Amino acid sequence: MTGASASELPELHFASGLPGFPDARRFVLVRLGDELSPFSVLRSLDGEADLEFVVTHPGLFFPDYAPEIDDDTAERLELRSADDALLLVIVTVTNPVDASTANLLGPIVVNRHTRAAAQAVLGASGYNTREALVPSP
Amino acid sequence: MLVLTRRANQSIMIGADIVVTVLEVRGDQVRIGIDAPRSVSVHREEVFRELEASNRAAASPSFGALEGLTALRPPKHDSGGGPLP
Repeated sequence: MTGASASELPELHFASGLPGFPDARRFVLVRLGDELSPFSVLRSLDGEADLEFVVTHPGLFFPDYAPEIDDDTAERLELRSADDALLLVIVTVTNPVDASTANLLGPIVVNRHTRAAAQAVLGASGYNTREALVPSP
Repeated sequence: MLVLTRRANQSIMIGADIVVTVLEVRGDQVRIGIDAPRSVSVHREEVFRELEASNRAAASPSFGALEGLTALRPPKHDSGGGPLP
């Protein structure tokens, strides 16, 4: 799917895995498609064979998205300011792709400096796990 | 399942460092306080289950599905960022 070698890429470390995949802790982020592609693949280096997620930068599709990361997650990832955090959302890819959705309830938060990462859980935020990437016409 | 009866302001300990306290009982709602080490994540169960289900649905899409996806571009927004690093 991409020519990049996973071993050359910086590793993201999810200390508690992801909900549903508690043992998947080490991932690499690999671009999906050409350099204009808004999507990347988060590929697991652990246990479960070939586990990967498509992710995107939420600001590209949801410019108003402003999740409030809880203090526990911020502390666990040692985030000192909002600039320390890289925010990604997991995409559920459908066929046809126009119906693909993004999980805005559980964004992935990465500390840009340490590469520590976690899937945050936004309680009572009004965000959901299946927000359409492409608004229906 | 272990079942214990507690009143408001009484607690339950789970292991040596997790304390669950009943703070208030009002009608059919119970307010609960949880003291746990930072390494233990605490979630409302229904929200956690929803994330589990969403992650499982999103995990490892087929190669065919990904091919179509690379052609998908975000709508034009004034504040849109750049591609991923």
